[in-house]
Amino acid sequence: MVQNHRREDHETGGENKEKRPKFFINDHVDILIEILERLDGRSLCVAASVCRLWCTIARNDSLWEKLCFRHVSPPPSSVRSVVLALGGYKRLYTGCVRPVRSRLGRVRRASWARDEVQLSLSLFCVDYYERLGGSNSNGRLVEKSSPSSLMFLCKPVNV
Amino acid sequence: MLRYDSTSSSAGSSSGSLSSSSSSSSSSKPPQQDIDGYKVRSSELRQVAQRLERLETAMGNSPADFSQLASDAILYNPSDLACWVDSLLTEFAEPPPTCSSDFIVDPVNNQTVVNSAWTAAEPHTPQVHQNITYDEQQSLDNQLTVVTAMEEDSGIRLVHMLMTCAECVQSGDLSLATSLIDDMQGLLTHVNTICGIGKVAGHFIDALSRRIFQGMGGGSVNGGSAFENEILYHHFYEACPYLKFAHFTANQAILEAFDGHDCVHVVDFNLMHGLQWPALIQALALRPGGPPLLRLTGIGPPPPDGRDSLREIGLRLAELARSVNVRFAFRGVAASRLEDVKPWMLQVNPKEAVAVNSIMQLHRLLGCEQTRNSPIDTVLSWIRGLNPKIMTVVEQEANHNQPGFLDRFTEALYYYSTMFDSLEACRIQPEKALAEIYIQREIGNVVSCEGSARVERHEPLAKWRRRLSGAGFRALRLGSNAFKQASMLLTLFSAEGYSVEENEGCLSLGWHSSPLIAASAWQAVPAWDNHMSSS
Repeated sequence: MVQNHRREDHETGGENKEKRPKFFINDHVDILIEILERLDGRSLCVAASVCRLWCTIARNDSLWEKLCFRHVSPPPSSVRSVVLALGGYKRLYTGCVRPVRSRLGRVRRASWARDEVQLSLSLFCVDYYERLGGSNSNGRLVEKSSPSSLMFLCKPVNV
Repeated sequence: MLRYDSTSSSAGSSSGSLSSSSSSSSSSKPPQQDIDGYKVRSSELRQVAQRLERLETAMGNSPADFSQLASDAILYNPSDLACWVDSLLTEFAEPPPTCSSDFIVDPVNNQTVVNSAWTAAEPHTPQVHQNITYDEQQSLDNQLTVVTAMEEDSGIRLVHMLMTCAECVQSGDLSLATSLIDDMQGLLTHVNTICGIGKVAGHFIDALSRRIFQGMGGGSVNGGSAFENEILYHHFYEACPYLKFAHFTANQAILEAFDGHDCVHVVDFNLMHGLQWPALIQALALRPGGPPLLRLTGIGPPPPDGRDSLREIGLRLAELARSVNVRFAFRGVAASRLEDVKPWMLQVNPKEAVAVNSIMQLHRLLGCEQTRNSPIDTVLSWIRGLNPKIMTVVEQEANHNQPGFLDRFTEALYYYSTMFDSLEACRIQPEKALAEIYIQREIGNVVSCEGSARVERHEPLAKWRRRLSGAGFRALRLGSNAFKQASMLLTLFSAEGYSVEENEGCLSLGWHSSPLIAASAWQAVPAWDNHMSSS
């Protein structure tokens, strides 16, 4: 026993010579989530490529849900089931909410925050509907490789 | 006088006007066309704005001279607003800064009636009019302006020739019309047909020649299979905001009308791909109090090849509704014309709240004869019989149903030029190209068809108001939510030229304050009220 103590002392003593990390964020997932919740969309995507743990957390839809409803009072609970059915919050954010917010940012009025999300939801629903059509089309309809209903939200490409 | 404004005109006083009174002399083809048009090219806007400011200060400083100025203004090249402002400035005897370039202008022998704001020029001997410039960069602009001014003139000449040709067609002088068509097609080669006036003119020339050479059945224009029409319609939906505006505004009105009802029934006069309904289904799913039972009856043309496209759309919508937990039932009614639909086909339940949705369909029912039982009256009366909670009507804001061909042609030229301008902002292909074909078919129908073949009989909102009020409907105001949503939707489009306007409870969407499409909501007046309110 005495020998063990001495060995531990020796070890800790040895490690004290190098800088021993006192705090590793990946050990504290709840804090990590709190931090990642506050990132913007782009940073969150970047964060997903840091390591497997961060990737798993960043893919969690609840983070994107918080991102969508940032600056807006929390929505009624029925919204979540609808959004999940239509493709999830990450898709809602990257496809609709972010372009809508950035475009409307130019003429933003404070009262529009909630309406922005509602408009995004409507556009998202049309997008889901078009995706349904793509997968169910029987070849007679022109095949759409990607639903284009939201293309007007994309940055225009200089032809 | 025809108003034609194809460039952004935020510099204020730059509305273009073309006079059609010189049409009889235009066939002699003077070296420079008689024109009274003013256009401001967007590259010139800054200079013009500066000069207008200077003009304003100058006018403020010498009010006594103004009236003299108004009568003595000499127009060297009236198609160049910048030049005209400069000429005014020189009249005020401001010391002109040294000019660094020349802008050689031929005088225009103006013999014509002029817009009341500008005055006629007396014929003048040729002069070199020096443009007032401030830095060397503008000299390059001016040289470019000369070149593009010539192309502008070709464009204006095209418009004049189109008007002349239409007049010939109206009066029956087909030989002259034919030769004009040849000339115009030759002129098209000098004009940029990728955008602007050249493109629109090309379509109108085609439509006119079809009218002259193929008679007024114009079968191929009205035809095109239903399948093709759906594709074109879909691309028109994607490329520009008009249909999205229509759908979202109508949905908002329907949503508000359905408030508090548990059984609701929507009748769509033209289902197409059903793109309007996902948003309504989603909004109903999220409404406080839970979604109602939604029934949708979609009317569409019968499929030629046995494929039940209506049912497929219904299945898709049902799947969407199932995903968001909205009880949903769909019924398809196949009818090649709206007047063939009878109310019993819709199977409306008396206990449910009914909404009738017509996106650009009612105008097809307007025949040219004003008989007692015209299709529009029949349809409006059975709609009234359904006692809908709301009827949403979206129509093109244009007057394309006048009996006189020339008036109709003029209106259509102006309307579709504006629409094509707005389409320029769209960057996604092939949506843009197919949307243009969609509009081109409309143009063809308006110009080259007559009688029952002409279905695009657009009427402006004021006429629809009278018609619907006379048929026993009263207008419901579209609320501020609809306006807000429409404004937001437009802001999302990268082009800055769209504008939403509210007009006595109806919303209209336009390009640079020219309304192109108008949405309104109506409710049936109860029968016993009708006797008191009918005049």
